[in-house]
Amino acid sequence: MSAEIEISGLSKVFGQGAGAFHALSGIYLTIETGEFFTLLGPSGCGKTTLLRMIAGFEQPTAGTLRINGEEVAGKGPNARPVNTVFQNYALFPHMSVRDNIGFGLKMLGRPRAEVAATVDEMLRLVRMEAMATRKPSELSGGQQQRVALARALAPRPRVLLLDEPLSALDLKLRKEMQSELKRLQVETGITFVFVTHDQEEALTMSDRIAVMNAGRILQLGTPHEIYNTPSDRFVAGFIGDTNVLSLAVASSGVDGVTLAVPGAGTLPAASLDGLTLLVGQTVTAVVRPEQARLCPLAEADLTATLEQTVFFGTDTHLHLRLADGQGFILRRQNAADEVDPAPGDRLGLRLARGALRVLRD
Amino acid sequence: MHSTRHGWKWLLSAPALVVLVLAASGPLLIVLVYSFLTPGNMGGVAWVPTGEAWFRVFFKRDLFEPDVITWNDANLMVLWRSVWLSLQTTVICAVLGFPTAWFIATRPPTNRPFWLFLITIPFWTNILIRTFAIQEMIRNNGTLNTLLDWLGLISAPLDLLFTDFAILLGMAYVFLPLMVLPLYAAMEKLDFRLVEAAYDLYASRRRALWHVILPMVKPGFIAGSILVFIPAIGSYVTPRVLGGGRTMMLGNLIALQFGQGRNWPLGAALSVMLLVIVTAALVLYLRTVSKESGGPRG
Repeated sequence: MSAEIEISGLSKVFGQGAGAFHALSGIYLTIETGEFFTLLGPSGCGKTTLLRMIAGFEQPTAGTLRINGEEVAGKGPNARPVNTVFQNYALFPHMSVRDNIGFGLKMLGRPRAEVAATVDEMLRLVRMEAMATRKPSELSGGQQQRVALARALAPRPRVLLLDEPLSALDLKLRKEMQSELKRLQVETGITFVFVTHDQEEALTMSDRIAVMNAGRILQLGTPHEIYNTPSDRFVAGFIGDTNVLSLAVASSGVDGVTLAVPGAGTLPAASLDGLTLLVGQTVTAVVRPEQARLCPLAEADLTATLEQTVFFGTDTHLHLRLADGQGFILRRQNAADEVDPAPGDRLGLRLARGALRVLRD
Repeated sequence: MHSTRHGWKWLLSAPALVVLVLAASGPLLIVLVYSFLTPGNMGGVAWVPTGEAWFRVFFKRDLFEPDVITWNDANLMVLWRSVWLSLQTTVICAVLGFPTAWFIATRPPTNRPFWLFLITIPFWTNILIRTFAIQEMIRNNGTLNTLLDWLGLISAPLDLLFTDFAILLGMAYVFLPLMVLPLYAAMEKLDFRLVEAAYDLYASRRRALWHVILPMVKPGFIAGSILVFIPAIGSYVTPRVLGGGRTMMLGNLIALQFGQGRNWPLGAALSVMLLVIVTAALVLYLRTVSKESGGPRG
């Protein structure tokens, strides 16, 4: 693998003086060729600004940006081997599906026959052959999405940028398009840079994810790493549901850390490398709701009182309260032969190995 | 219940209908009827039906040998000049109006009302006064010639007044806002993300303008062209003041027939001609436009 996009010390400041807004501060990032890379974060975190800078719509305030080894600062969007799928699709309403898809190649001055052949190929790729002569206004949201993809893929860019392309679709269509996108990426071998605020989308499709907040990258890793070993509280909270607990350190040594759990003694906890923990210090620890399960009180790691159950179809969330008053949510898969406990019951919980993780605050 | 409601609902539009019938259709009908009558001695019409006025729009008889018939090239020249000058005015307004409207539409939304307000300032003054101001600017001893002379750029004053150029200048000035405003309205609705999409797909600025922006603001061009062409072809004040007696347009010819000419039927026939030209232009324009946006494109 080689580096497709190398970003080094990239910053973007909008405005000047006291009113200046730091959209991005000191971004270092390498995106590999052929990778499905996702920028994930809440709105306003700078992910779209970063994408627009790669596309060439924004110029960086500081730092360098290389695409395929070539510095692109000062080059406009029409001089970069990069195409974008816009959030609202931005299809040209006065052109047919064919003309939309062929626009990029036409602008590149490719011969008519080549444009036609590529457009046919793209129509096949996104399964829109039957719609070729329609106008965008005559298409459904999902169909417009496919045309936007085909239009951006037709010039065979080195990198395809996708700016929350699925956010306007309903849930079922979104799921469909997720696998469709993944299929297209594998088939074309083009590097995808995908921007989303939907953590599930990011987890299911990406090779690697950069979690962003307030103009910085907080964590960079595979979906597994991001989900299972979040580096800080924000990442843990943003990716999936999580229980955040304040617990005291009971022991800290070479063989690991144990935390004091109210009403249940101590539990071993996984910790981040390089984090110094002092005995007695209160730290933030997280447990995913699906990594705890109910068990007989005698075998329990910790005990809690049930306050409320919330039914989600495939699973049920039990809202529990620990002995010291901290809330805890447990997710339990629904099985037909199980009886849900009733509010007020005192329940025993067992945690999976390594489920309890100490985080940087 | 419903039928009774609908029964009297049309009455609400009665005042508008009365105004339309009396103020628009009525006079038009009178003009049409007059064009088929004989001129009265002291103006007005004599109720003797004839096609003479219509004949004289296009043809003329030799003064001494009434059987020798030739084209009435004076009238036809005025007709042609009116169409030609109005077309030129429309094009000039479109060329000047596009960047103006673009400038306004790309200002921050809070500043746009100010620029639009500036566009409307000329409407505060009567068109006659504004036209005389242009006359003052371009006449032989006027502002422009004095300035050019003072700068040493010319030795003899430029003959600008009472030319087609003067008429074009005046009409473009008067009708420019009518092009800018609908263009602005179309551009304001323009989705600038489409322009970004065009850049992203390797379009240069010029090609983004040509392939994306212009087709998208076409409705503004259509509305603006109609708003400019129709009053331009019927102009009276501008050709009168800036064209003098030398370069006449249809409006002046019509006025002449109702005034000194004392030939009301001819004036009426010319008026109907004007209406026909305008209607034909509109129909032609709208048909080409709908054909272009309706059919498949290669």
